[in-house]
Amino acid sequence: MDPNLERQLFSASRSVEEVRRLAYREPSRLGQLVEQISVLADLRQKEGDFRKAESLYREALFRAQELKKPDPDLLCGIHSLLAHLYDRWGRMDKAAEYYEKALKIADDAALEDNDKVATIKNNLAMIFKGLRDYKKAEKYYQEALDSFRVTDGSESPRVASVLNNLGVLYYTNMDVERAQQMHERALGIRQNLGQDQMDPADLSQTYINLGAVYKATGDFQKAEACVDRAKRIRSGMNGFHANPRRAAALLIDKTL
Amino acid sequence: MREILSIHVGQCGNQIADRFWRLVLREHGLTEQGTPKDSSAANNANMEVFFHKIRDGKYIPRAVLVDLEPGVIARIESGEMSQLFDESSIVRKIPGAANNWARGYNVEGERVIDQVMNVIDNAVEKTKGLQGFLLTHSIGGGSGSGLGSLILERLRQAYPKKRIFTFSVAPSPVISDSAVEPYNAILTLQRILDHADGAVILDNEALFRIAKAKLHRSPNYMDLNHIVALIMSSVTASLRFPGKLNTDLSEFVTNLVPFPGNHFFTASFAPMRAPGQEGQVRSNFPDLARETFAQDNFTAAIDWQQGVYLAASALFRGDVKQKEVDENMATIRKGLNFASYMPSAGGLKIGVAETAPEGFASSGLALVNHTGIAAVFERLVTQFDIMFDNHAYTHWYEAAGVSREMMANARDSIANLARSYRDAS
Repeated sequence: MDPNLERQLFSASRSVEEVRRLAYREPSRLGQLVEQISVLADLRQKEGDFRKAESLYREALFRAQELKKPDPDLLCGIHSLLAHLYDRWGRMDKAAEYYEKALKIADDAALEDNDKVATIKNNLAMIFKGLRDYKKAEKYYQEALDSFRVTDGSESPRVASVLNNLGVLYYTNMDVERAQQMHERALGIRQNLGQDQMDPADLSQTYINLGAVYKATGDFQKAEACVDRAKRIRSGMNGFHANPRRAAALLIDKTL
Repeated sequence: MREILSIHVGQCGNQIADRFWRLVLREHGLTEQGTPKDSSAANNANMEVFFHKIRDGKYIPRAVLVDLEPGVIARIESGEMSQLFDESSIVRKIPGAANNWARGYNVEGERVIDQVMNVIDNAVEKTKGLQGFLLTHSIGGGSGSGLGSLILERLRQAYPKKRIFTFSVAPSPVISDSAVEPYNAILTLQRILDHADGAVILDNEALFRIAKAKLHRSPNYMDLNHIVALIMSSVTASLRFPGKLNTDLSEFVTNLVPFPGNHFFTASFAPMRAPGQEGQVRSNFPDLARETFAQDNFTAAIDWQQGVYLAASALFRGDVKQKEVDENMATIRKGLNFASYMPSAGGLKIGVAETAPEGFASSGLALVNHTGIAAVFERLVTQFDIMFDNHAYTHWYEAAGVSREMMANARDSIANLARSYRDAS
């Protein structure tokens, strides 16, 4: 195991233990305990011990429910972390269940147009896509899109990401025409981002997706042009390969 | 290191913990706060099995205390051992399971099981070579039975290769706390059958009878739990103290379980004395061996007449000579009615450890797998059937997510277990 992670695990584990002792005498420390448990759970997940991570998140969840004033933001956050864990674990049903619970909490507390909720909707849509429930997937992508337009602005990277996701969804569902619309709009945004927000990997991916769409419509010239653009961007990345997990990680709010 | 983690669940489980840890502290020369009484006390013992040493030389029990009612744990905390246990390893949640297995297993259990598992994981991380778990609980109540069952399931999932040993207090045939005990017991026994490697079945009535006969007065729960504590301490003695014939949990299990699933034992401890009254009783070895294997000294109401021994283990502690053990046990072995397929000298595993429980010059423990234990299961199944066929009390279980089908299923596995014991004769 990565010695750095090992060290982090060790100290996070000791912290949980310490706060457990404190919380045992003083219930007012529960909030702190929930926080420490989440930190440890996150590390366990990194370590790949999903079983322990699950137990920890679930304890955090029940503890957070015991707080005198339940904090919907916190509860929504833990639910979505747990859902994300199930997603990575390959337990899609559970992931969908917990994302939906998170949304319900956000809904009840009127937290709608918040980028955390939009992120959850995007992730939930991905899961429904995996479960081949295209209707629900589309619905949640659309809602995420609407929210990100409000929170980030309509020309923002996250709007482009959701457009891209929608494009892929339509494409898998053989709705090439709408897929094309989505990818073209995503391209429009991604091309015009400022230097600091521009991500060559995303941009080249959009060209590849768009190329696939053109190929499906029989427009081979355009398709080839797109693939060429993508190749050129890739080669300009000087052998830098984005972390394959990065795309997913972008959509997960780490500040919870 | 071959550490053992003890998990005490529910009122009964924690009452046993109270007696058990007092006894173990004394055996290892520790004060009620976990500090050595004098520097030499612990020298000949393997403290790490049951204790985790922290910086200032203090020893902390490798124990997790879980209850859905605060009572017993609160009493431990306010008593002499208030400084002993690590507060991060105590889990108490209110409200209780209301004597209902289904509430302990589903409703309240669901809310607390992850915390319990996190605390257990944490304790396991502090071991170098964990040997296994000891679980103490009662199977008739709500917390120890329902939550205890859930813990067993999750423990087996999380640690498939570790030994799980339970000390399970069964409802007495005569004295009963509540009408639903047979339901709770059958549902719990099914989990012990599926997820534990060995279970010592103790019943309060047998304990009561033994205590009464040996103490010459009306015993209280403390006396009963003291007997349980002596048995638990002896089962693990040869892991903790040097001896010529070391017997660990795995060896006990290998020897005691001839068929998968037939891992329900009954135990006997000799010489039986009240706590504090042990004196330095010096019984000669033949007497000690005889008392160890006396039928009325065993802790469950089993049917000695119609059954046979499938296997037996004996562990003698303290001032005993190997030669005496060999000679006397050969005689005792002949007197035990073993299953027909057993080699005439086999089936009886013997261990010796140098240190006797405090106050004893020597002691004996028998742990046996006798087919007469079927009587305990049959009795519970009969009581279960009478209520179940009349739909009595089942609504409480259904309301907490345990269907009649689940209950019937548990009933059938325990009825089959009883049959498999009878057939093994």
